[in-house]
Amino acid sequence: MTTAAAVAAAAALVMLAVVVVAWPFVSPEREQQEERLSEEDRRRLALAEARDAAYGSLRDLEHDLRTGKVTRADYEVERDRLRAEAARVLRELDRLR
Amino acid sequence: MTTLGRVALYLVFALTAYAAVAGVLAGRRGDRRLMRSSRNAFWTALAATLVAVVAVEYALVTHDFSLAVVAEHTSRRLPTGYTLSSLWASEAGSLLLWLAVLTGASALALHQNRRRNRELMPWVAAVLGGIATFFAGLAAFVSSPFAHVAGGVPADGAGLDPSLQNPYMVAHPPMLYLGYVTLSIPFAFAMAALVTGRTDARWLVSVRRWTLVSWAALGTGMLLGAHWAYVEIGWGGYWAWDPVENAALMPWLAATAFLHSVIVQEKKGMLKVWNMVLVSAAFSLAVFGDFLTRSGVVQSVHSFVQSPVGPYLLAFVAATLALSTALIIWRLPLLRADHRLESVISREATFLFNNLLLLALAFAVLWGVVFPILSEAVRGVRSTVSAPYYDFFLVMFGLPLLALTGIGPLIAWRRASPDSLVRTFRWPVVSAISGAAFLWLLGLGSSTAGLTALSLCIFVTVTVGLEFARGTAARRALGGGSIPRALVDLVGRNRRRYGGYVVHLAIVILVVGVTASSAYSTVREAHLGVGQSMQINGYTLRNAGVFQRQGPNYTYEFVRLAVTRGGSAHGTLEPGQRVYDTGQIGNEVDIRSSLPSGTDLYSTLQGVDRNGSGGVSVKVLVNPAVGLVWLAGAVFLLGALITLWPDPREARQLARRYGELLARSGA
Repeated sequence: MTTAAAVAAAAALVMLAVVVVAWPFVSPEREQQEERLSEEDRRRLALAEARDAAYGSLRDLEHDLRTGKVTRADYEVERDRLRAEAARVLRELDRLR
Repeated sequence: MTTLGRVALYLVFALTAYAAVAGVLAGRRGDRRLMRSSRNAFWTALAATLVAVVAVEYALVTHDFSLAVVAEHTSRRLPTGYTLSSLWASEAGSLLLWLAVLTGASALALHQNRRRNRELMPWVAAVLGGIATFFAGLAAFVSSPFAHVAGGVPADGAGLDPSLQNPYMVAHPPMLYLGYVTLSIPFAFAMAALVTGRTDARWLVSVRRWTLVSWAALGTGMLLGAHWAYVEIGWGGYWAWDPVENAALMPWLAATAFLHSVIVQEKKGMLKVWNMVLVSAAFSLAVFGDFLTRSGVVQSVHSFVQSPVGPYLLAFVAATLALSTALIIWRLPLLRADHRLESVISREATFLFNNLLLLALAFAVLWGVVFPILSEAVRGVRSTVSAPYYDFFLVMFGLPLLALTGIGPLIAWRRASPDSLVRTFRWPVVSAISGAAFLWLLGLGSSTAGLTALSLCIFVTVTVGLEFARGTAARRALGGGSIPRALVDLVGRNRRRYGGYVVHLAIVILVVGVTASSAYSTVREAHLGVGQSMQINGYTLRNAGVFQRQGPNYTYEFVRLAVTRGGSAHGTLEPGQRVYDTGQIGNEVDIRSSLPSGTDLYSTLQGVDRNGSGGVSVKVLVNPAVGLVWLAGAVFLLGALITLWPDPREARQLARRYGELLARSGA
């Protein structure tokens, strides 16, 4: 590659980079501002995670019972505790809706 | 092309710096255009980096010896494959490869999350931009692959180091770099979560797969490096606790700890601070490993000669640690655990112990690596930390870790009762004790650590087997169908869990291979005249003469050893020495592997009598079960792939969790 060709290719590369990087500022886009999470959204999110964690724990507990890792008595105690936890979270989620 | 490559590198520096600044502004102002612009800057930085890579490769294949990376690491008769891979034989070229992986992984991570984690992503871009700017700055201004040779342009290059002219060296460094560099992604997400206060579990979900990629790549890279050392270096082993080997092991251990503790955070909302610490530690250790490889402060077969980038890398590690520590301390109130540890006999407790042991092992290795450096800096005397130090800690921390590999999956979450413990552990414990007695009767009791390791391997294998068997039975009880169908269904619905168990099996296979091949190896050295024989473990090796063969860029002088066992022929071994056109000399081992035992008959040529008699000095080893070490690599990859495979059910659950609640805000 000759020096002139290399300089031309380098200039084209720089131009391409400028166009690609600047494109979002010239292209039409309806929403330009990001909305931020409110404190209430964050609380709702934490509760949704807690709800899913409780459901997941219940599924794991069922699996542990079926594979013999917990006794029936242990299973029932833990299941009731997890259900109570899930119910508490769901009540709070409903209150926020 | 050199001019184009140089301009491309300057452009990468400018683009990544812009991406970092645009990321910060997008995060502060909530401006989506800035975020898109930052993301586009990463894609163009990747394109410009690839242009620089092509420019270096072009210089390599056209033998442009005006460039130092070409003149110092290739020659005209070097085969094309090695000419292309010599990009990462030089310090400057490997830095360019690092940059290519970093910009590629960053662009991909930002693209994957373009509609998710919108509050986090500007800060992820800012952190990744900062990291990429640093490495682009090194490549453009400190250690450029486009630097010219001092003095006149040579007619031919110095040639590639003979030990690097091996197919494993084509794959080993890129794989390790993929592992090191992709640890930047979890680090960037963690820092973004701390900056924004979005310390909920969403960032963990996004980075878990990237951590798995890093961890699988580091693990595979280490095994490729171990195999390279085994077939190339010629000492008969595959792991020497070399500082640069340790450099890859340390972040791998930290990533392993994170992959376990992340489960506890997702399921129980615990270990939030710990996970931040692990992600920061894994990334810092990866950059520290890069420092060890490039700075020249350690002596290693893997390291580059001293380069000017060392102090910069060390300063970068210090800055990373300072930044992450400050952010973690600032956000401590948000990182409080949702639950407390209720019992030490619970699955979360086993995860915690597993984490402590992994980190303890990582820091024992770190101390072994840095002690000689500190000793030289303080006392002016370079001390050596050798294998017994590392072996001691490997046994101290590794054996309990192996035991936990079996214990963890069988213990229930929150609290396990004595009744359930007896029920779940009776068969694994009885199997391990019976196995230990059997192995002791076989005469394997000479090494207490070895016998303990093998017994624990039986324990873990039985626990994993039981997990698969009980899980399959439970699946059949629920959905019916054949056993293979139920097994596939079980694994498909619980990919992380059962993929993890496959990795546990890989660890067992690795431990058996390492224990057997290191504790029960046999070595013999002998001088053999033509026609003379030596014996080792039932094999007879006869010197059938010294020969020469011409290679593409070398002459191979070797001894032909005719191998027999029990009177029947077992082929020949041809260990020797390559004398390259450049004058470099490389020893070549020859190995005969027997399946299915995985035992290797391993030979090296120590010297040839120069009186023309055909007499040679040879070293021969019988390494039992060494094939298991490589088999472990294949099983490890299988387990990692199962774990990595996308789970549409999990994706749906996440979409529901985050989508329904955050749709209004678009976050």
